[in-house]
Amino acid sequence: MHYYRAKNLKDILNLFESEGDRVHLIAGGTDVLVEARQKPLPQDAFLLDISQTADLRHINEQGQTIHIGASVTHQELAESALIRQSAPLLAQACRQIGSLQIRNRGTLGGNICNASPCADTVPPLLALNANVHIAGLQGKRTVPVAEFFDSPYHPLLNNGEVVSAVSFAKLEPTTRTAFYKLGRRKALAISRINMAVVFKMTEEGFLEDVRLAPGSVFPAWHRVSEAETFLENKKAQLSVFEEAGKLVADKMIAISGRRWSTPYKEPVVAALVKRTLAIAAGVYKGGKL
Amino acid sequence: MNIIGKREPRVDALGKVTGAAKFADDYNMPHQLYAAVKYAEFPHAEIVSVDTAKAAALSGVQAVLTAKDVPGSNRFGLGGDIRILADDRTRYLGDVVAVVAAESRALAAQAIDLIEVTYKELPAVFHPEEALKEDAPKIHEQGNEIVHHKLRRGNVEQGFAEADFILEHRFTTQAIEHSYIEPEAALAYPDEQDGFVVIGSLQNFYTSHKAIAAALDLPLSKVQIIQSTMGGSFGGKDESATMLAARAALLAQKTGRPVKMLNSREDSIRQSYKRHPYILYYKWGCRYDGSITAMELKAIADGGAYVSMSPFVTWRSVVQATGPYHCPNVKTDLYAAFTNNNFTGAMRGFGSPQVNFAIESMMDELAEQVGKSPLAVRLLNGFETGSVTATGQRLNHEVSLKHALLEAASASYYGKKWAENRLTKNKSNPIRKGIGISCAYRGVSLGAEGVDAASAVVYIQPDGSVNVSSGIIDMGQGAQTAMSQIVAEVLGINLNRLRFLQPDSGRVADSGPTVASRGTIMGGGAAKIAAENVRAVMEKTLREMTEQEQADFLFENEEIFLKKGNGKGKRVAGFDEVVARCYAKGRPLFASGVRHIAETNWDEETGQGDAYFTYVYGANVAEVEVDTETGRVDVTKFYSVHDVGRAINRSMVEGQIYGGVAMGMGYGIMEEFIQEEGQAKTLNFDEYYIPTALDVPYMKAIILENPDAKGPFGAKSIGEPALEMAAPAIANAIFNATGKRILNLPANLEEVLLGKKLRRKTPRASVSCKIGPL
Repeated sequence: MHYYRAKNLKDILNLFESEGDRVHLIAGGTDVLVEARQKPLPQDAFLLDISQTADLRHINEQGQTIHIGASVTHQELAESALIRQSAPLLAQACRQIGSLQIRNRGTLGGNICNASPCADTVPPLLALNANVHIAGLQGKRTVPVAEFFDSPYHPLLNNGEVVSAVSFAKLEPTTRTAFYKLGRRKALAISRINMAVVFKMTEEGFLEDVRLAPGSVFPAWHRVSEAETFLENKKAQLSVFEEAGKLVADKMIAISGRRWSTPYKEPVVAALVKRTLAIAAGVYKGGKL
Repeated sequence: MNIIGKREPRVDALGKVTGAAKFADDYNMPHQLYAAVKYAEFPHAEIVSVDTAKAAALSGVQAVLTAKDVPGSNRFGLGGDIRILADDRTRYLGDVVAVVAAESRALAAQAIDLIEVTYKELPAVFHPEEALKEDAPKIHEQGNEIVHHKLRRGNVEQGFAEADFILEHRFTTQAIEHSYIEPEAALAYPDEQDGFVVIGSLQNFYTSHKAIAAALDLPLSKVQIIQSTMGGSFGGKDESATMLAARAALLAQKTGRPVKMLNSREDSIRQSYKRHPYILYYKWGCRYDGSITAMELKAIADGGAYVSMSPFVTWRSVVQATGPYHCPNVKTDLYAAFTNNNFTGAMRGFGSPQVNFAIESMMDELAEQVGKSPLAVRLLNGFETGSVTATGQRLNHEVSLKHALLEAASASYYGKKWAENRLTKNKSNPIRKGIGISCAYRGVSLGAEGVDAASAVVYIQPDGSVNVSSGIIDMGQGAQTAMSQIVAEVLGINLNRLRFLQPDSGRVADSGPTVASRGTIMGGGAAKIAAENVRAVMEKTLREMTEQEQADFLFENEEIFLKKGNGKGKRVAGFDEVVARCYAKGRPLFASGVRHIAETNWDEETGQGDAYFTYVYGANVAEVEVDTETGRVDVTKFYSVHDVGRAINRSMVEGQIYGGVAMGMGYGIMEEFIQEEGQAKTLNFDEYYIPTALDVPYMKAIILENPDAKGPFGAKSIGEPALEMAAPAIANAIFNATGKRILNLPANLEEVLLGKKLRRKTPRASVSCKIGPL
């Protein structure tokens, strides 16, 4: 097995060219190394480490757009003043991933390319209407994060392509957001269900531009337009949020049918939609989270 | 007391914090080979043939062994049925059909893949109640019933007739993994005289010694077991670790070379035994005043593929099945059954956590039914000094149960919070507060299970430094420190004079296993006697020095004084000086001590007798916040009160309590070893969840001391008591918060929200789903 640490994006593309299908990208390794324990990498694998690739390590704003390099770690995002200010739900999501050790290794690009249905950064990115920037031998392209996934664990990424960055429009300071994660313990927990919401609220307390992205709920990542449409121009109150929760739960059953986990997920998805909306709207009255 | 009870640093601390401590896998030798195992491919199948030719032909492979290559006894364990290498059949998926020794780990793994086994698959059974049915597939020739323990006291029919009402519930508890941080490992090598040495992570190395010598067909004297520093065990490194060490030893014998065998975490979880899952049918006859007229219990434990400790684990459950409560009429039937799951055996608690969960839940329910507080009902029914247990044993020591309950309640403001949490104010919030109480009593040490004796050796070197050896081992619980403090107390010396030697099968007489919270009471008892025996030699010399034939002496602060009444008289000499005098007179200061207690008896038919020579008592209070919309339970505070007889080292007692609470909490709300059709689904810590540092609550440890006549300086036990009543305190707190009774452990998201577990029928979400066929 070969191991090479790419210095820059050009390095990566050159190796795609010379090594072809042998190349296995490794960003933080928090998934690759765990999987290799169960199914070893091929003998001739070329492990290409992009965690230190200079042009994939930036967090910056260009006009009204935030750009995050694919190799930025979860911990860096959780601590970034820019992200905490302009996309607080993404910082919150990153802060709850794994443990500090995992957050120090794991990267944003790795998390979305692994494409696990319970990835914690995907719901915030969906709610942020983020774009995924892809570099490849055939040139660059940009796709909305909502169109980046085929099925669980299968991002729409061709051979010879690498995610270079993610970008999204800065949220206005008045925009309401929330991220909620339900795990089986307080750290090192894979999300049982997670939830991201973004909306604007008028002075009279009406909802606008609602974006609702649940995780671990649908087989493929997407927002819930039925609930979003329902919430548009509705008053921000618990009874409305409760209704939205039911719509999301109904949608889950409509898509996936009734499965082994449905008796649990149906009420809990509904409750967490309601709760996450309530937190964002500042009307959540539950105990400490 | 000079040193007993002090917060002395652990004698093994330096090696642990500097990294100098050597765990089993840290031992390596030149020319060492590496071993790997061929696993069973069916949970229940007849082994028709094993073809090892291709594996053996692989360059770099030095030996491939199957059951027929074992020169001695291939079977060991309490039931004599655990196979070092599966011979006639495979009975669970952790069975090993063949082992390989090769020049590298990679080669050994490659060779394993070349071994071809032909099986005839047999019908399997995975549920203990199904296993006990007449038409169930037989896993062993004698049938699937491992044991049936009975206890009969009074007349339950009459007791139920006298009751005002009956409480009945079916409880279930889950299998859990010990989760010791260090997986099993051993290095086996030939010695210079036709024998073998095994260095291993072995909890009960005397038991391992016998099994390994029998497998190699060698006398015990030719097989030396050295116990390496252990990274945890919790009861788990008995048969599982013996299997691994025996396989390494067999390969060393075959090849004449050192052989290292190391379990990966997945190997460890796949092969090792777990805590017994129980199904418990409890029925209590109760009066409106909160008293109990009768108790009937039928419980079935899943013993898995082999007998292991099932008979003893379930026996403890029988003895303690009524809890520390007066009950005149008792009928208990406890069964353990073979299944094709991982076998189940010893784990911290050993049959008590299962019954305690049910008993303490029922006691809460009783309080609810009669409109009293759970504390009041426990104080009404609880044992006192002189009480008679369900086995007919009179408790003649200080029974501190009620003291423990009151301490726990007052430290936590239990009564006030319990009442407040029941108000509607708490119920209007989706996240509700709850508080729960539990208590238990526990028989100390082995009891009527078997011979209870332990040995220790104290050797004062000519320069006054001291070596202590013991047959009781330290697996992280601090036994070496406790025994050192006891020796130092007897000799009136500082702890820094002492050095504890690694246990070795040739060093100290067979002391039985380090189990049953017997380390301090039995090992410490032996160390005290050994130190007293050495001191007696010193006293003989002192009498000559002082020319006072009747004199008694006081050993204190490294000096020896004449005893004057009960006080301190004239100084005689320094410790070193007396040691030098002894050696000058040809009196080496070397002595062993044996602590043997044989004051138990038992009638198998009626379940009556003095089951244990003494008991300990404790009480726990848990505070929780329950998210009633998700079922998430957050344990926020925990109060743990234990009467330990005497705390030899307060910090270590607290450490045991904190660890016990964390582990008991994992049992209560999180941990579950899941098998589907015999296949382990939680093979590593990414899927087998144990509490993290963030999950562990604020904990308050409260130590009660009522010195016991049987213990060294009055010390009894803490290891298992610390864990055994934590889960029901949490379950009762959940009831206080939600009004929902938890009947099945663990109280995870689904259980709390729906009152049942949900079982995945599709592949799991994480790694296996991704890399497996989609």
